Amino acid sequence: MGMSTQHPESDSAQGPRADSPTRLHTPVTPAPAAPPRAGGPRPAGAVIAVEHLTKDYGHGRGVFDASFEVGRGEVFGFVGPNGAGKTTAIRHLMGFSAPQSGRTSILGFDCWAQPSQIHSSVGYLPGEIALPEGLTGSQFIRFMQGLGGRADGARLAQLLDLFQLEPRGTTKRMSLGDKRKLAVVTAFMGDPEVLVLDEPSSGLDPIMQERFIEFLRQEKGRGKTILLSSHMFSEVQAVCDRVAVIKDGRIVSTVRVDDIRHSETKTYRIKFAALPDFGAFLTGGGIQVVFADQAEMTVEARVRDGDVKALIQSLAALRVADFQECKVTLEDHFFHLYARQPQEGRPWNTPSR
Amino acid sequence: MLNAALLKQTVRENAVLWTVLTGVQCLMVFSVAMNAPIAAAGVAYYNLLPGIFAGIYAITVGNRLICAKVDRGTLAYVLATPVRRRAVTTTQAAFFGGSLLAMCALGAAAHCAGAALSSFGLTGADVRTVLELNLGLFLLGWAFAGICFAASCVFNLTKHTIATGGGLVCAFLLLPIMAMFGQNYAFMRHLTIVSLYDVPAIMAHSAGWFWGLVALGMIGAAAGAAGSWAFTRRDLPL
Repeated sequence: MGMSTQHPESDSAQGPRADSPTRLHTPVTPAPAAPPRAGGPRPAGAVIAVEHLTKDYGHGRGVFDASFEVGRGEVFGFVGPNGAGKTTAIRHLMGFSAPQSGRTSILGFDCWAQPSQIHSSVGYLPGEIALPEGLTGSQFIRFMQGLGGRADGARLAQLLDLFQLEPRGTTKRMSLGDKRKLAVVTAFMGDPEVLVLDEPSSGLDPIMQERFIEFLRQEKGRGKTILLSSHMFSEVQAVCDRVAVIKDGRIVSTVRVDDIRHSETKTYRIKFAALPDFGAFLTGGGIQVVFADQAEMTVEARVRDGDVKALIQSLAALRVADFQECKVTLEDHFFHLYARQPQEGRPWNTPSR
Repeated sequence: MLNAALLKQTVRENAVLWTVLTGVQCLMVFSVAMNAPIAAAGVAYYNLLPGIFAGIYAITVGNRLICAKVDRGTLAYVLATPVRRRAVTTTQAAFFGGSLLAMCALGAAAHCAGAALSSFGLTGADVRTVLELNLGLFLLGWAFAGICFAASCVFNLTKHTIATGGGLVCAFLLLPIMAMFGQNYAFMRHLTIVSLYDVPAIMAHSAGWFWGLVALGMIGAAAGAAGSWAFTRRDLPL
């Protein structure tokens, strides 16, 4: 029977990150596991609300007691590997699935009980682009206009121009990028108040990805409420106000992107000129060392802003060849939560920093 | 309850298959009517071939209307708009029934036209017989369509829909043929809903055939309604 037995997020990406060192090193002080963070005060008057959502597909698949809210005008990122539960959560927000427990709502309407009230105000971009066959791009646009009951010719023309899409060809013969553009255009053409975007820029070329990010910034400036599920940290970091990280169906962290950018705790990479200086620093104590490589005579020290002076004082008597701050990104935060072992290769479409 | 945009798209998706099956059926019945009087052509033709055409149409289109769209994911675009699930099933069912009705109506017209142009001629009684035969054919197709539509509404994968809905329809079509292989197999005639379309009784204007057609109509309506009910309440992997 087809009664909600499938879980399409079948691949659990457990891959490594590429930019981590592969050489053996001496882990002196392991980085503490980051506790789930509230991500600052919750937005007043949440437009999108997921409250203790649970859907268990068995074998650890699904979402479990997931909760988050997206305020009006906020762009909320939702990141996690394949199989983590992002699409399952979105499926509940779109009213395609009923929660086992918990509730999802958009604009105050229950997503399962009142989907049609929601959909008049929501633009949705599915993660998998499966356009109806036998239609040209133009016919698909008219089809979607007919279903949604909204047709703003000027906005449509703007979107087609922005994404350089010529929708005359049949959808079957379109490239993946053009199909994605077509789906983006139809999601935004009704100028909806709320947008639910599941990996929106996947399949777009780098130029179009950049254009799309800029477009999202403009939509954010126009007060749109956006839920953005993505594998692309650069995209999420560029446009999102807050980000939830989902792991094995559970939200393990919700952070403000600004908190990551302007963290009070910073990591510095210090390369010593000689091995005795390297050893002296490690035995000196007082500074949290998160990474040490004897062969390279390099350490990474994590200090709070107020303790930088102490770090500099501890280095004053030592011969230092290089000293630089390691910028913390959303990607670092994510991989820290996922506690990856450093190996070669990247699991997802994560551009190099 | 009907959605015009969805109906238009569904017509577009199924136009080729409908045209081919209807065209072939019309050509065949026209040819039969040109060469045999209605009394003879009726039993020879309506007993077998149109039921198979209706079965093929029901299996193929039934799957396309709902399940194939869930399987491929294209239904996500429809259900992400204010169109309700109930409107989707109602629109698709309306197309299914309407297209079958049009197929049978054109078949009846072709039969009458062939008879009128033939040397046998066409009387008022002949027209009534042809209409009754095609009404029965429509209701047989309607019952097939209801079963296939229900399977399409319940399953997420095309292979399951075809195996269940298509399997049942094929079994219903094959059982009367099996029943012809001897007295030992005669009971199989009573295991199929095709027996409710009693062509000899219609041709003979004898009593009883009407209630068989009513039963076919109810089977189609009940199966379709059950499928629609299930579709509006189940999770969709979109």
